[in-house]
Amino acid sequence: MDELKFLWVALVLYVVAGSTAIFGVVFRKRPERSVLLLMVAGLVLHTVSIVLRWERLGHGPFVTMYEILSSNVWSMMLAFALTYWRIPLIRPSAAVVMPILFMVMGWLLMSDPGEGHLPPTYHTIWLFIHIGFGKVFMGAVLVAVGLSGVILLRATHNGAGRFERLPDDPRLSELTFRCMAVGFIFETLMLIAGAIWAQDAWGRYWNWDPLETWAFLTWLILAFSLHLRLTYRLSPRMGAWLVLAVFITAFLTFFGVPFISETPHQGAV
Amino acid sequence: MQPSALIRLCRALASLKLTLVALLLFAGGVLYAYWSAQPAAFALAAPLGLLALNLLAALASNPAFRQQTPLLVFHLSLLAIVLLVAAGQLTYLKGKLELAQGEEFAGVLTETEAGPWHPFRLDKVHFVNHGFDIAYAPGVMRQRTYNRVSYTDEAGTVRQAEIGDTTPLVLAGYRFYTTPNKGYAPAFYWHPSGGGAPALGTVHLPSYPANEYRQSQEWQLPGSGINKMWTQLSFDETIIDPERPSEFRLPKQHKLVLRVGDVRHELQPGQAIDLPGGMLVYFGLLTWMGYAVFYDWTIHWLLAASVTAVLALGWHFWRKFAAKPWDN
Repeated sequence: MDELKFLWVALVLYVVAGSTAIFGVVFRKRPERSVLLLMVAGLVLHTVSIVLRWERLGHGPFVTMYEILSSNVWSMMLAFALTYWRIPLIRPSAAVVMPILFMVMGWLLMSDPGEGHLPPTYHTIWLFIHIGFGKVFMGAVLVAVGLSGVILLRATHNGAGRFERLPDDPRLSELTFRCMAVGFIFETLMLIAGAIWAQDAWGRYWNWDPLETWAFLTWLILAFSLHLRLTYRLSPRMGAWLVLAVFITAFLTFFGVPFISETPHQGAV
Repeated sequence: MQPSALIRLCRALASLKLTLVALLLFAGGVLYAYWSAQPAAFALAAPLGLLALNLLAALASNPAFRQQTPLLVFHLSLLAIVLLVAAGQLTYLKGKLELAQGEEFAGVLTETEAGPWHPFRLDKVHFVNHGFDIAYAPGVMRQRTYNRVSYTDEAGTVRQAEIGDTTPLVLAGYRFYTTPNKGYAPAFYWHPSGGGAPALGTVHLPSYPANEYRQSQEWQLPGSGINKMWTQLSFDETIIDPERPSEFRLPKQHKLVLRVGDVRHELQPGQAIDLPGGMLVYFGLLTWMGYAVFYDWTIHWLLAASVTAVLALGWHFWRKFAAKPWDN
């Protein structure tokens, strides 16, 4: 299938982009233009792959694990590429972000690209709105994770001199806080849009199904981390660990819950 | 209590450290409710109460907090959401019902779960199920449900509607949703031997195609004195073909097996059997649809409060970050 060929080439381009970014950090080079071009080329081919599959199946990438992973790699890559382009100061953080995406890409390659059945309750605009907000949330948290990774790596023996071109830790920490604030807004919007969809689709706006519960826990942990930052003068390293905690919870919610629940949302068949 | 002690208490309750503790307790309560098989309302209500107290104390004792309008609106919206959810828990209703084709809903539910203050106005709600269309993709994958219903609006006009999946029928605040639960319903006329008007009734066979090979039901015939009858629908056609696209429909040919005691009857539409107390006529085969009903007057207010909260949050961060751009 052409869509798979486009996807594989896109993944290769992402891997080359990430490897180049890591090479740049390790050997103190600045291949930033090449990394950006590779990411954009990968995104174009990945978009073609998703559009071809959408055209063939008549529905978007919302049903199978393969589709969920593919669309999330695409959206996280897009969020990071936009940040990479708009904020040149933080470009070396690609060396932290890309390996995270490599793991999701590896998982995507191992997942079954077979077709799934779009449940009748998925024929609603609220599906797109809910998922769209979720993707912006995940993208914002991913950028924060990249910056937090830089803060934590700088504190290690090997990482100390590798990221000196980035702003100092307090400034990076301030940017992670802003990313988390944006993430908090979009996580809230995702929960609201999901509740509207759930009310129409399943006759209740909230039912504590596994995905609802873990999405709400992510929201609570995010609220906790923002409050903790306001209550105490946290060191950038402490702030970075909090960002990682939020990311891990969000990651488990987005990609782990489908393992413990037959469908992303209970009742979706 | 001395005023100074009251102020000290208020300040202690307004502490951001208490907010952190309450948020952790709330997260713990959510996890407990998620994993516990027991009702766990207290595990959620207690930390929410603490958070509400914490917020009210902050409002009373922290002028700087009150002066940050967007942040204040965000937190007040959260408080409104908590109060609305509590009000909803006291007045909600969830239920289930089944209606045969042509049958009118007359306020009776087969399953009900309601808050203690639910007003129970279901007797004022009437609608008729006129049947449904459901297509199936290969693999017995259910597609969209189109259920035709009619109802009388508040002005007394009879209206037609098509509901299903993400489109409920909303009457007097009650929201009626179609469910995947539906099937065949043999319909009978009962003619009492003592005279009187014949009565029409239906037997709802198990949901189809989920129970494709178990299309039988035990039932009672009201007014006949017969407590145990057994009915089975039998047909040879494949209605929902796993290999190709299909449509839920009545079988072109079928027979109805009816067992009364040790006597077995096979009936076609229009055929009748004599029973003690009257005559039972098999009218024909219909369909039935299972509905879920939901009532919660707070949902629109909850949406308004949630949207206000998120707009205020966006306003707060926008103002905060625009005042001091990161790259300056």
